[in-house]
Order: sequence, then C-alpha cells, then structure tokens
Amino acid sequence: MSSRGSGGRSNGTLPQTKICQFKLVLLGDMAVGKSSLVLRFVKGQFDEFQETTIGAAFLAQSVCLDDTTVKFEIWDTAGQERYHSLAPMYYRGAQAAIVVFDITKPETFERAKAWVKELQRQASPNIVIALAGNKADLAERRLVEYEEAQTYAEDTGLLFMETSAKTAMNVNELFLAIAKKMPKTDTQNPTHAARHRGVNLQDPDAHSTRACCGGN
Amino acid sequence: MAVHSSVNGTTAIPWRSSRRRLTLLEQLRGCQEAWCPGAPWDREEAHAAIRGTPAGSFLVLRDSATSQPSLLCVSAGGENEAVLDYNIKSTDTASVFQLAESRLSFSDLAQLVLFYSLTRDVLAVCLSIPCWIYGVTDKNKDRLAQLEPKTWLLTPPDLQTDEMTQREPSSVMCSIQLTSTNGALCIINPLYLREHGDDWLTNRATAAQSATQPSNYRRERRLSTTRTWAGAGLQSKRAISLDQAPSTAEMEISGLTRAKSADSPNCPPSPSAKVSSAGVVLRRPSKDASSSLPQRESTESLSSSTPSTPGSRNSTVFEPQPHGSPVPQSPHRVSWIEDGVWLPPPRPSSLLQPPSLELDSLSISSIEEEQESQTPSPNQHYPCAHRLADKVIHRLSAVGQAIGGLVSQKKRLTNRVQELSERKGDPFAEAVKDFVEMTLKRGADPSGVLGTEFLQEVRSSLTSLKETLLDCQEIQPLLDSITDINDAELESLVELSLHKVALKPVSTQLYSCILSSRTEDGSFKCLQNNLRVLEKKGIEELGGSAGVGVPDSVTLERIQQRWTSVHEAYSPNKKVQILLKVCKSIYHSMSANASSGKVFGADDFLPCLTWVLLRSDVFTLQLDTDYMMELLDPTQLQGEGGYYLTTLYASLYYISSFQPRLPARQLSVEAQKSLNQWHRRRTLHCNQSRRSKHRRTIRRLTRVAQTLETDSKEDSGKESDSANTVTSQGQTESTTEALQETSSEQGAEDKSQTSTPASNCNHRDRVRKTQEEGLTLCTVREENHRGL
Repeated sequence: MSSRGSGGRSNGTLPQTKICQFKLVLLGDMAVGKSSLVLRFVKGQFDEFQETTIGAAFLAQSVCLDDTTVKFEIWDTAGQERYHSLAPMYYRGAQAAIVVFDITKPETFERAKAWVKELQRQASPNIVIALAGNKADLAERRLVEYEEAQTYAEDTGLLFMETSAKTAMNVNELFLAIAKKMPKTDTQNPTHAARHRGVNLQDPDAHSTRACCGGN
Repeated sequence: MAVHSSVNGTTAIPWRSSRRRLTLLEQLRGCQEAWCPGAPWDREEAHAAIRGTPAGSFLVLRDSATSQPSLLCVSAGGENEAVLDYNIKSTDTASVFQLAESRLSFSDLAQLVLFYSLTRDVLAVCLSIPCWIYGVTDKNKDRLAQLEPKTWLLTPPDLQTDEMTQREPSSVMCSIQLTSTNGALCIINPLYLREHGDDWLTNRATAAQSATQPSNYRRERRLSTTRTWAGAGLQSKRAISLDQAPSTAEMEISGLTRAKSADSPNCPPSPSAKVSSAGVVLRRPSKDASSSLPQRESTESLSSSTPSTPGSRNSTVFEPQPHGSPVPQSPHRVSWIEDGVWLPPPRPSSLLQPPSLELDSLSISSIEEEQESQTPSPNQHYPCAHRLADKVIHRLSAVGQAIGGLVSQKKRLTNRVQELSERKGDPFAEAVKDFVEMTLKRGADPSGVLGTEFLQEVRSSLTSLKETLLDCQEIQPLLDSITDINDAELESLVELSLHKVALKPVSTQLYSCILSSRTEDGSFKCLQNNLRVLEKKGIEELGGSAGVGVPDSVTLERIQQRWTSVHEAYSPNKKVQILLKVCKSIYHSMSANASSGKVFGADDFLPCLTWVLLRSDVFTLQLDTDYMMELLDPTQLQGEGGYYLTTLYASLYYISSFQPRLPARQLSVEAQKSLNQWHRRRTLHCNQSRRSKHRRTIRRLTRVAQTLETDSKEDSGKESDSANTVTSQGQTESTTEALQETSSEQGAEDKSQTSTPASNCNHRDRVRKTQEEGLTLCTVREENHRGL
C-alpha cells in the first residue's frame, strides 16, 4: 500500500514515471455493489490522481506502483439479464475485468462464474480477471463460502478477494493486485506529461480541487 | 513478452514530438549562447557590436559575478545608432526572468526574448530575431550552438539553406507563458495585442492626468518602433529622443513609479506599494477600486517585498523614490499599458461581461491587412472614460484568466486551417478539395458502397488529411506553441479544425448515406416497431432500481434540444461533447429524489438512458450515433466519451433488437459485428496515420492485420473450425443454457432462428460471415500481439 500515491509528484519536477492506461470492465449481477466498490476505490484515493467524470458508470483513477502510474478507466456495465447481450460492447478491448458477486446471494456467484467463462472465451485473451465477493461486511448472512469461491478462482486462474465497499475492506488491495498483474508497457509519453507541468509557477491553490460528481 | 494491447486505441501517440521542425522557442534556446554570450562580453563590447545594426537587434549579457542574464542591450536603430539597456531580473534559481521595468515574468530567457520580439511592452522597440532562424531544422540545428554573438547580429549566409522558407515571424507565432508573482500563469496571445492594438491605450483618460505625468521618462523610454504593428497609434505620442538613452537607474525608477501608481489608487505612495514593482502583473479588477487598497493587493505587495519571494528578490534593491507629482490612477495594469493612460475606476457591472469572445477569431494573415485602419487619428484622445475602462478591464481580466489562452489558440488553429484549405495550390487545400468532391460524388451514387463502409473510408480520408495538414510547415509551430493542453486535447483540436473544412461540407451527404443504409438493412423498421412496444414501459420495467429518478418534462425538453444540437453539429467530437451533457443531466435526474449517498452506476444509467431515448427521436439519434462511431478520431474513443457513446449505441441497439418473446436471449451478433468493424478500423487507421512516424508497434500491427484480413477471408469461405468457434461464442454469450454447456451450439442456434423467423433484423448469414471475419481477425491479432 505504501506505493500508492507517492507524495512528491505535485511539485512539477516529475520523475520519469511510466504511465500505463488500462480499460477495466466491471461485470456482475445487478445490485451486487459494482459501482459502490469502484466508487470506494476512486474516492479513497488521493485527489491528485482523480479525474472528474460526469457519473459513476464511468470512472477513472490512477494508482502508483513503484515507478509506474497505472491509470484505470473503469467501465461499469448494467447487470440486468436483459442487458446481458450488450456486455461485449463494453468488455471488448478491456485489459482487466472485475467480476463482482454478492456473498449473501448464491445466484450472483453463479452469474459471476458465467461472466468469467464468457470473458475467458470472448474477451481479450490476456485479460486480467479478478473475482470480488462483495458485501463481506454481511458475513452473518453469508451464503457463498470463502473457500468455495477461492477454490473456483484458483482453478480458473483468477485473482480473488472478498471485499466490502461499505467498510472499504480489500477494495484498494483488489485494485492494486490487478495493477500489479497488468503488463507495464508505457502507453503514454511521460515526457509530455512532464513538459506540460513544465516550470510550475502556478499557485498550488489554483488547481481546483477535483471531485467526483457522480452518483449523488 | 506480453504487450499491452492497443486494439482499442488506447495507445497515446506522441506525434507532436516526432515532428522534425523546430519551434522558434527551441531555435532560440539552441543558439542562446549567440544572443546571450558568457563572460568576456561586457556592456561596452555588446554596445559596440550592436551599434549600427537594425532596430531591435539585441544581445543579452550575463552578470560577471553570477553569470545570470542581467542586461538586455537593444539597438534602437536609426541614424544615432543608440543602444538601449534594460536590466533583467532573475531569481537565484534562474527560473524566473523579468525585465526590471516590466512586471511580466517568464520561466526562461527564450520565452522572454520571444515575447519581446512580438510585443514591445516596456521596450522602445520590439526585439528582432534574425529571419534565418526560421529556416533552421533538425539538420542544421547543431550549428546553432556554434553561433557567436557577432554572427547572431548579422545574417549568416551559410545558414541560408534551401530549407529556409520565406515564412514571416507571424507565421510561427507562439503563445508565451508568463507569470505574475501572485502565481497566476498567463498565456499571452501576442496576436491579441497586435490585433486589438494599443489605440485604446493611446487615449488619455483625462487631459489633467496626462498633465500630471512626469514627462521626462516617458520621452526617454519611448522610441519609435520600426516594427509595423497594430499599435502604431502609440508611436504618434511617443517623443523620439534618441540622444537621451536612459540610464538603467532611471529606468528602474520609472518602473517603480508606475508600479506604485498602479497599486495604490487614490492613495499616497505607501511603502508597501512602492516596492511592488515585481508584484502582480494581471489581476481581476477590484470592485471597489476607488476605495482604499484592496486587501489582496496589499498582501501581495508586502509579500513581494520579502526577499525570499521568487521573482521579487531584486525588487528590494531599488530604493523607493519620492515622487512629487500626484500619481495617476489605475486600478490594475499590465506593464505594457502606457503610462499616462490611467483610468478611472471601472463600473462594477462591467465585470459581469465575459471577455473571452473578444480574444479569439484572429487570424494571423489578417493582421497585416487590418493594421492600417487601426491607426487612430491624433485627435481621438478624449474618449468616454467609462468605455475605455471597460475595455481595459475586459482585456485584462480576459488575459488574466487565461481563458483567452485556450480559446484563442483554438480559434487560431481553426482559422489557420481554414486559410490553408482555401489557399490555391497548397497540398492540403488540394487534398481537402479532392476529398469533398469525391465524398459528395460517391455519396450521391446509389449503387455505391454500404453506409458503414463508406463512412469508414471517409474516416480513413480524414486521417490522411490530418497527416497532410500536419505536414504543413505553418501548422507545426502553431501546435508546438500550444503547450498548456495535453496531447489528446491537442489532437482533438486538430481534429475539430479539420472537421470544419472537410466534414462540414459533406455532413448532410453522410447523413443521407447512413439513412439509406439503415433503412435498407431494416434496422429502422425494427426501431420503429419496438418503439411502440417499449415506449409504454416505465423505468422500473426497463430494469431501473426503485427510487431512481427520470428526467421531468422540463429536463426532457432540454435534452431534446441537446439532441437537436447533436444532430446539427458536423463534428463527431462536438457531438460527443453534447452527448456528455445529456448524460450529465440524466444523472442529475436520476439522483434528484434519491436518498443522499445513493450511487447510480450502469445498472441504473443504461435503463435511464433507454427511457430517455424512447422519448426522443431515435431515428435521428441512430444516424448521429453511427456518424460518431464511424467518424470519431481513434484517440477520442477512450475515456468518458467512448464509454457514453458505447452506452448510447448499446441502448439504441437494445431498443432495435428487443424481442418480446425472447426478452433476455437476443444475441448481439449485429452489435458485435459493428463493434468489431469499429475496433478493427480504428486499429488499421491508427496505423495508417502513423505509418511514417516511427510507430514501431502499430506499424507491425498493420502488417499483421493486413495479412490476417486476407487469411480470414479465405477462412470464412471454408467454414473453418475457428469460424465455427466464433459463431458459437456469438450465440452463447447471453444464453444461460449454453453458458452452462448443457445445450449444444447447434441447439442454441436453432432456437433463436425459430424465434425470429425471417426477421428483418437478422440477416444472420451475412452478419455471421462478417462477424467471423472480424472476430477471427481480432483474436489472432491479439494473440500475435501477445507474442511480440
């Protein structure tokens, strides 16, 4: 976690960090907490790396990993069965996916497995898939056992964590684990990023505090 | 080694840095040793070298102790061959440079020089940069560093290579970043000064005020400029006094005095105001300018007297000079405002008027033509004071907000591209002309290619046009000068200006092509039929969660207006921008009645958008969506715009493919087909556009893709295994049974075929074939990618 948001970057002298940008798609049944999970991740990060978006269905957030800035563009999908057929439009070209289920609802786990299968068959062959058992704060109502999901994830080669968007449990960890697994090919020319910050004579206050306007 | 896939076009393209021509700034930096020589050069030597050179020829001298740039020596030209000195202040770290008299500071010396070559500010004449420098390219840039000051002042014939163009300085106009010590970074558009001229400055607010002006330093400082520029009016009031080149000390004092007068309206000189010569350059006018010193200003003045403040370190060197005469008043100023033009307090209402519109719409070539008419007659010196004040405020605040920076850069680029496209014989103009003619001709041909294919060719042509445009010598410096936006935004700017010249003339034609294509393939009929079925459904029937709001009638009305604007826009980028506004207001409606903290993601947004679409003109929207998807620049497909465009497409697709009898099982073959084409084309065009620009990875991809295209065509003819697999993937993606692998692929296919017998919507055979091609292509390419 210490690698996240290494502080000294705002002062103009940018180290030659690699910037990798990835499209991450969120899949999972309706109301399993896809948006909450991502929003928890995005809002929990430093403002510096946060990009303003118009709503919670698309969010962007960067995390720092050693010498690399990993920028996630997070595409949420509608989980309703009726919109299932639209999903390929969203996961096409995605380099990462989080498939979310609700540990209190076994049917969402089944649906998650179906998503994983579909992704493995149809999405980019090198897509990094993470399985998230959300609502871990509701452990007393748990109906999907940790071991069961863990075994499934191991068998299928997925990252797996139980998360809670409510308590923030494992939320950052999940994204960091994904970030670590991503191939780190520089997708942006860092010299330009540095150049545009340039000699920063601007009052730090002049940077408007960015906030996510989505959701509420 | 795994390579990050760029299939979706997420690879940022550093095309700007790959261009070969150097910017004027780079060129100036390259030969800095020539115009800013080191130790052996002192004032005498510099004066000797400069004397007799054309007005504006200059050298910058370094302080012998600190070797920081300390003195700017400028030739005043003329018979007297006077050489003027201007002190340069710099901070210890040499990150801020400023003429002692001026209150504009620059982050490097080259920017300072460039700025003063474009506008005089406190100088008597504009600096003159030798013409040959515009011809310096990568090839001969090494020689820049070897230049000596004496060479700099002459025109070295050996540098006049064949690459030297006749470009005038105005064609390589750069915006210049300068800073005030309050931290405001200002982007100065030199054109603004040149275009709008200084006629408003030459107007004395009152005769009385001008009478109070200490006349001596004004006379000394203002020499006639040999540059012709829109501010010619200034010259008429400048006394020419070549024999009295002011000493440095006098200059400093005068600078101080003017600063003081600026910062202390209606106030006697106070210590804090006196030392503020390094203070604020540009600031928002105080609404209460006639009262005492505004708090913010006094704070800044005080802070600027602290030696540790960057940029003001040297200001403490100057002892405040007592100044007997009443100081003129000016609530705010920049240093290039002439002294003696202090203005009465502004009317507060004027602050409400946004100034940015005044700033744009300049084209460089028009300046020379217009300057004649801008020369004011000498007897115009007593205008309405209020009007003058308003003008000043508009302009100052405009520059100060730096809004003008981006807006005017954008306009400048657009105008320049427009000019280029109309210039007879220019390669870009020819290419645009050909494109427009060809597109109109082909679009009118009823036996022509299918809608989407046609649009893809248009996109391809646009990309080639962009390349041609970027090869124009005049565009590159303009782009390089735009330093305050990132590459994606810049790319978008270029696209926008291209759309204006290329897409605007053909957009109507393109719409009718999409229309006939969509009518022909039956999708409009599907849309129409399903609209009737779906429009009665409420938001919860569409899948929205309880409590999610939908737009009220007022909002819906506004959304309809926005959709109209979407359709009216000819630029796909612009369309996407408006789409984002619509999405934003949908979000707003969604959460209007929801409990706070409720998060609405795609689970609710997609149903809401669908609900809105069902109450909109979906047919026109379908046209616009196709238009955007096919014609949008690849770099614009990432991010938020790409997401919401995909969502719009998905939602329209949901409506047109809705099957009441098979609600959740309908397959997205067509959607996939289209998206496959979309992404494939993106990749291909991306390659195409970069092929000459050292895009190693993408170039490799081009070859792969081309090879694959041939292969997959053969494959689809043979009904190969891979094609079958692809089909089954398409079939099973939403079929639960298939996902559980309990039903055979054939079964799934049979089922959906019986459920949609001879449906217009499903040209299944044709579609499948195309899809096979698309998917096979993508899969193999990605594998190949992985193997790189």
